[in-house]
Amino acid sequence: MLNSGCLDYRLSRRSALAAGGATLLGMSVKGLLAATGKDHAAKAEHVILFWNGGGMSHIDTWDPKPGRPTGGELAAIKTSAPGVEISEIFPTLAEQMHHCALIRSIAGTQGDHGRATHHVQTSYLPFPNLVYPGIGSVVSHELPNMGDLPAYISISGQAPRAGYLGQKCEAYYVSNPGDKDPYLAFPEGIAEVRGNKRLEALARYNQRFTGKSTDQRLKATETSIEEAVDLMRSPALEAFEFSKVSPKTVARYGNTPFGRGALLAKRLVEKGVRFVQINRGGYDTHSMNFPAMRDHGEVMDPAMASLISDLAETGMLEKTLVIMLSEFGRTPKINKDAGRDHWASVFSCFLAGGGIKGGTVIGSSDEDGAEAKDNPVKVQDIHGTICHALGIDPNKEVMTPLSRPMKLVDQGAPIAGLFA
Amino acid sequence: MKHWLPATSFLVGMASLISCASANDLDVIVTRASAKAAAERKIEPMPLVDDSVFLRRIYVDLIGRIPTDAEVRDFATRPAKGRREQLVEELLKDDRFSDRWTIFFADMLRLRSQASGGQALIAYVHNAVKTGMPYDELCRRLIYTNGKAGRIPEVGFILGDDADPLAMASVTSQVFLGVRIGCAQCHDHPFDVWKRRDFYDMAAFYGKTRRFESQLTKIIYATEADQTTIMWPPEGVGPAEERKPIAPRFPFPIDESKDTPGYIKRLAAVRQAKIAAIPVAKGPTVDDLLESTSDKVAKATTGKLAEELATADAKKDIRKIDVQKGLYKPSELREQLAQSVTDPRNRYFSRALVNRVWKTLIGRGFVEPVDDFRADNPAALPEALDYLADEFVASDYDLRTLVRLIVSSEAYQRAHCPTDIDEPTRVMMETQLLATPVRRMIAEAMYDSIVTAGHLFEPKHSPGKNERTIREIVRVPKGGKPGEISQPVSLAAANKGPAMMAGAGGPAMAAATGYALEDAIELDFNSILKEQGEEEVELDEMKAMSKEELEAQRMVQQRMMRSSTEYEDKIVTRVVDENPVFNSSLRMQSPAPEGHFLRIFGQPNRSDLGDLRDDSASMRQALMMLNGRVTHEAARVGDLEPMYRLLTGKAVNVEKAVQLAYMEILTRQPSSEEINDARQIIGDAATPVDGMADLRWILMNCNEFRFLP
Repeated sequence: MLNSGCLDYRLSRRSALAAGGATLLGMSVKGLLAATGKDHAAKAEHVILFWNGGGMSHIDTWDPKPGRPTGGELAAIKTSAPGVEISEIFPTLAEQMHHCALIRSIAGTQGDHGRATHHVQTSYLPFPNLVYPGIGSVVSHELPNMGDLPAYISISGQAPRAGYLGQKCEAYYVSNPGDKDPYLAFPEGIAEVRGNKRLEALARYNQRFTGKSTDQRLKATETSIEEAVDLMRSPALEAFEFSKVSPKTVARYGNTPFGRGALLAKRLVEKGVRFVQINRGGYDTHSMNFPAMRDHGEVMDPAMASLISDLAETGMLEKTLVIMLSEFGRTPKINKDAGRDHWASVFSCFLAGGGIKGGTVIGSSDEDGAEAKDNPVKVQDIHGTICHALGIDPNKEVMTPLSRPMKLVDQGAPIAGLFA
Repeated sequence: MKHWLPATSFLVGMASLISCASANDLDVIVTRASAKAAAERKIEPMPLVDDSVFLRRIYVDLIGRIPTDAEVRDFATRPAKGRREQLVEELLKDDRFSDRWTIFFADMLRLRSQASGGQALIAYVHNAVKTGMPYDELCRRLIYTNGKAGRIPEVGFILGDDADPLAMASVTSQVFLGVRIGCAQCHDHPFDVWKRRDFYDMAAFYGKTRRFESQLTKIIYATEADQTTIMWPPEGVGPAEERKPIAPRFPFPIDESKDTPGYIKRLAAVRQAKIAAIPVAKGPTVDDLLESTSDKVAKATTGKLAEELATADAKKDIRKIDVQKGLYKPSELREQLAQSVTDPRNRYFSRALVNRVWKTLIGRGFVEPVDDFRADNPAALPEALDYLADEFVASDYDLRTLVRLIVSSEAYQRAHCPTDIDEPTRVMMETQLLATPVRRMIAEAMYDSIVTAGHLFEPKHSPGKNERTIREIVRVPKGGKPGEISQPVSLAAANKGPAMMAGAGGPAMAAATGYALEDAIELDFNSILKEQGEEEVELDEMKAMSKEELEAQRMVQQRMMRSSTEYEDKIVTRVVDENPVFNSSLRMQSPAPEGHFLRIFGQPNRSDLGDLRDDSASMRQALMMLNGRVTHEAARVGDLEPMYRLLTGKAVNVEKAVQLAYMEILTRQPSSEEINDARQIIGDAATPVDGMADLRWILMNCNEFRFLP
């Protein structure tokens, strides 16, 4: 039976919190929050992370600067959250903003795609000879599995690797959301009965070969086959396939990889998946930024709005932290190609659910969106916040295969004021 | 296709006819070195493996796939004495040896098809392995060459790390010398002698190296500036005004012995003999120039080449390079570094490579991890490591000599420990070379072995035997008519060669079946190298246009990319003749895309330093093997296979069929118990052909297939 994405290190939330009592800083999550005057019982059980690769413009999305020469051609619009304005490319999502929060003061340090992506996805800066795990691997490492599906699923592209947390914390990869995954069923032409006979015989052959061997790798192959078969036989697999989903629903999210990805993410967390990452690229808008952002808006707006409202309707939003991240923002200055270039000094992110206070805006950038003004937030603090929402101690240490202790998050603290 | 029947008699006798390697010097050294540990624990070395195990190991290790039944039978017909050595010689000459060992270098050098100039660099390294370029020569070229990405393949190595001096200091020491001096970037090495200053001295060799990207053409170059970027003390330590540029210094000690060591004398003799064997040159041809572009560039910038040029084509070529003379400026600092790194007296250099090759062939390095040589991480059996390092240098850094030496040793040919032995004893026996560790095939070898066992390199079904109708969704311009394709499309044809990328069959097939993660599209390394030679023409065209013109041209291109055409999805049906042919995974784009069979089975992404192959099991691997296309197609029996005749018609012989299946998949004969078991599986199925597919599927999925005996 597939119990956990990370069978070896399973920890209940309670013991994770207890383990947090001893950290390098000598302060547990509880302690950190007490220091900021807030206490909070973790509510989130799942995370849906939208990864917008390329460096999404903060000014043209979450932090509009109307009236400034660098504000660009996209207008700011009012939202259902009083006093919170976002870009006009999100007309439908604007009606859901009372469920959502924005951070407008992330002070990044990396302006190169590779390094910044690594930083935002793992909380660490890249370093030779260590493969740092992405936040999804950290979550699947720390939380016990719910249901039959893999704890960590990455849609439409590459999630960061599990690094020193091990193969078991790698993401399960879905390339075409909504399509049948050929690897989850016997090959075409192999009927159920025949396939099952094959599996029985295979188990017998492997047992005979492994015998009394003390080589753990042999047993590990057998276990991996058992896990695979459990997954193949799980009724929860129906979540992957949209053949029974009404075309209207698909259309509401948008029949795009992003829209289908968002719909799949919703269906997966309902089946207990802990962490879903949806990947999308094309945000590196060095030229013709504005038409490009309008196009992105057309894809993102219906998907995000439908996801938030659907999750809210079923009560899943309270248990599901939705977050949209990119490796950095883009320059206030509009270049000669009507584009914006890389900008890490300040950028934004979008959150919803998981116990956050709807309508909150954390921090601000200056009048042009060039530097963090109020309440600057470190990249690592976003990781601290995700861990906090789930009841994971970000300062907990794990051992690398070469016995080097590493914290789950590189010195990140939960952001105060974000949670209800 | 030739038909034959398996000869059972030969295999019965095979185990007793162990054509063992005669003890070489390595064996003597190993025996002496491990004698003490063996005596203390009263442990005997494991015996040498029989021929069938040897065959499986040597084929997988040298050419990246298991042997075919025909190859096993051919081996059996040879005189027992000397046939292992003879086979090793043949495999060392095989084209697939170059393919397999390009993977070795690709892992070690972190070669990536997608990096700037990466594709050309892989093709270059492949060519170096194929032609037997001495390893030190290859390394020197990678370290010192400047020029344009792709056009000068070697620069891909430096561009792979964006020519960043600090990164390159780490890479140079860790990859070529097996020392993780990168730890000293931020602090003195915690477990070793390396100081922070050593790291910066090393980095200073790269201090003037720059990555240059043309704003107009987006072409990338590695080039040399006048100023160094490496300062001491490092950023953030002490006041900024105290930071001064530093001159490079090679921090690694070299063998200072006064008398020339024997291995260096032998090296000199080998080199002398090689030079003497080269016929007198009659002036370079265009091909010569393309072969050794870096030499040409070096000469071009000092003005010597012009005198040597014989052909009009070559003259034209040099004029073009002059345009970019500054960009092709050679690096003196890196030439010094290259000399120091590859100095025959630099023991780190030869030991590091030997250790990696040893790990690949034996399963455990003398030093582990293979790139972490340090004082408190001593080598197991240092005498053996040094012996091999000396021999490697003395052979003029010849990879094949080193591989030959290792695979013909007793250490390589020993059996594994008994399976039920306790862990500490097993580890002790393996480190003392009294037994070999169990190794899982690398991903590429596993893929190619499935393709080999399943007869998938060639069509195995008669045309028309596997026609079926598929429905697929295609994206077409609005108003366009995709129509119905009624002619059968042969997937075998569509799956062949690089044309698949552009051809209609390839993507359609992937879309239709959803199994793109198991495709292996072979690259033609020769044509990649040739293409690089012709690309330079664009420089001439560039010169003829003003900057504004070029800018305008780029704008037009950008607008065209935002095409206004609208697309719609249409469902089409078509008949395909499913007769799949698979290519070798050794020659495909590498690393493979995320989620590909090879990646799932541990091919590293090669972007991080010290990211070694992972051979742990995962559920993804299980799903890929249980339900994937390669395994499924390999298991099916084609009517063009020898197997088919044993299962249908008048000459049905299930026992022989089972023996053949075991031989083709596991390179051994089944026991009588296994034959009975297999008979039952085959008898249980709808037809013997189906039953055999079940048996083959089981054998390819079982642990015995992926772990080398």
